[in-house]
Amino acid sequence: MSRVRLQGLTRRFGSVTAVDDVWLDVADGELLVLLGPSGCGKSTLLRMIAGLLPPTAGRVLLDDTDVTTVPPQRRDVAMVFQSYALYPHLSVAGNIGFPLRARRRSRADIRRKVTEVAGALDLSALLDRKPRELSGGQRQRVALGRALVRDPGAFLMDEPLSNLDARLRATTRAEIAELHRALGATIVYVTHDQVEAMTMATRVAVLDQGRVEQAGTPAEVYDEPASVFVATFLGAPAMNIVPATVVATDGGLTVRATDLDLPLGIDATTPGRDVLLGVRPEHLTLTGEPGIRAVVTAVENLGGDEVAHCRAGTHTLAVRGPRPLRLAAGDRVGLTARPEHLHLFDPGTGGRLVWRTADIATPERNFA
Amino acid sequence: MVTGTFEVVTRPVSRTVPAVRLSGWHRLRRGIVPYAYLAPAVALLVVWTYQPLAQTAYLSFHSWNLVPTSPMAAVGTANYERLLTTGELGEAVWHTVEVIAGMLPFTVAIPVVVALLVRRIRGRAQAVYRALVFAPMLVAPVAGAAVWQWLLDPSAGAVNRVLGTDLNWLNTTSTAQLSLIVITGWHVVGFAVLVVWAGMTGINPDYGDAARVDGATPGQVTRWVTLPLLSPTLAFLGLMTVLLSAQWTFPLIDTLTQGGPVGATTNVYYLLWELGFRSHDAGLAAAAGVLFFVGFIVVAALLTRLADRLTHHDD
Repeated sequence: MSRVRLQGLTRRFGSVTAVDDVWLDVADGELLVLLGPSGCGKSTLLRMIAGLLPPTAGRVLLDDTDVTTVPPQRRDVAMVFQSYALYPHLSVAGNIGFPLRARRRSRADIRRKVTEVAGALDLSALLDRKPRELSGGQRQRVALGRALVRDPGAFLMDEPLSNLDARLRATTRAEIAELHRALGATIVYVTHDQVEAMTMATRVAVLDQGRVEQAGTPAEVYDEPASVFVATFLGAPAMNIVPATVVATDGGLTVRATDLDLPLGIDATTPGRDVLLGVRPEHLTLTGEPGIRAVVTAVENLGGDEVAHCRAGTHTLAVRGPRPLRLAAGDRVGLTARPEHLHLFDPGTGGRLVWRTADIATPERNFA
Repeated sequence: MVTGTFEVVTRPVSRTVPAVRLSGWHRLRRGIVPYAYLAPAVALLVVWTYQPLAQTAYLSFHSWNLVPTSPMAAVGTANYERLLTTGELGEAVWHTVEVIAGMLPFTVAIPVVVALLVRRIRGRAQAVYRALVFAPMLVAPVAGAAVWQWLLDPSAGAVNRVLGTDLNWLNTTSTAQLSLIVITGWHVVGFAVLVVWAGMTGINPDYGDAARVDGATPGQVTRWVTLPLLSPTLAFLGLMTVLLSAQWTFPLIDTLTQGGPVGATTNVYYLLWELGFRSHDAGLAAAAGVLFFVGFIVVAALLTRLADRLTHHDD
């Protein structure tokens, strides 16, 4: 298994910059998820790693070899396509064995290896079938088998689960995660599904408009989002974002907006400044004494949880909690959140704000 | 002490709802619609294909010289007997096979190579190349024939001068057929390239990408992925060639060789035409027409079945 390094990788299509100066280091055995909305450049990035698309600038390194100009057939990576791209004229065995056939391995060798991989993926009974005779889940496993058969340096997966139904997606997700653990494989995995990112990744790189907004463990990107984009992309419902002002009061720093007054738990003074306040729906709690005065406008039942949509001042806030919340539309509620659950962002750049005391001896204090 | 039992919750019961019954008039109107849509096409087929076919079959059992005032005499199977006993038919069939075999490189092999090469060219140049290859198709066959006649002229023709030969291409038995095949090939190759091109465009590029990542060289991608996925297109072109080659050559034969020299370029269609409109033997021509019709049906059926078995469909 190999380490994959991307150094300043950039791809422009005419005047459109699909991937913009991406630096990423995927360690040996890591499962890196490239997460972002459609059009964020994540698939373009993956195709450049595979060698299917030449970068406009930057380099791709496999282990210590610069493979930027190496054609795909001579890079040691395997790819699972979103469409699976199973060769329709070849049987399941022919599809799985294709990479070995291209490497001129002996027939006996290919047969042995194909049987082994098919056994591991529960495809043994289907080896003579054509792809069109398979179900979606079976096709997905054949695509996986074709990647597994050759022990590549790294696996590239382009939304491999997006064509499966919800239940199959959940089980296959677990299977791929298990495969990753068992093989210690280096995997670069592209998805727009935050659940896949959170559950499978050892590290997540959140992409927006071709740029890496944040790269970190699933907990890091969820708990300490580096920007408003990351904060709102992860989590369901999305993090509440409210334009507010930080002011110094007798009890320390407080963040304020219409009908909203929440202490930040920092005993200091600072010149007031405009911020974007972020707080996750599950971190808002119902209390008697109001930090936020709000009116419930609608309640959604998610089964285990309920989401109450509230209006505070001119802003809407989602509150998530275990069912029943015992709320109904029209109820007046008081909401609060613990200081460590408040995220502050710069209104101009959308970047995360951290508190730093003037005293350099004190370590920086992060919200969260 | 209170006692009780557990009861199964009742689930929504499904009941059969009777189907809506249509009145006879409504059912008739609904049933007639598909036939109404088909009617124009069926009418045209009947008028232009099936009726002449029936008339041909009828004519093939009669003797008639195409003069409206002269009587038509029933002769039974005499026309077929004459056709099968004289050597003309067998020779024409053989010439047709020659034309088909000679045309296959122009309709299948060359177009595949050209399409594969043109695929590598990007941008506007690609359109220019395609237009150049397609251009001969736009030249009227008779106009093209006139130009070729001039090029192949035995004394002053450009072909002889370029090749340094001294051949009377169109009037020598050994070269007349070859000349016709090359001219027809030149004429239809652009169309075939276009068809192959369309077939290639229809192949999902993911297959080629997957094959490259799987380690296949460009040559292997072509042999193992592109060509197999192109097989329905190639089968279609092969079928077209077998069924239509003799028709494509007809205008060229008529303008350049008139079936000669010594019948060397007389294929089945030209024979049919000669029998009917040169010899004015309508019965004999009709009998030939019926035989060719049946023969081509058999060939087409065999080829379609073969193609279904050999080709792979991308789905």
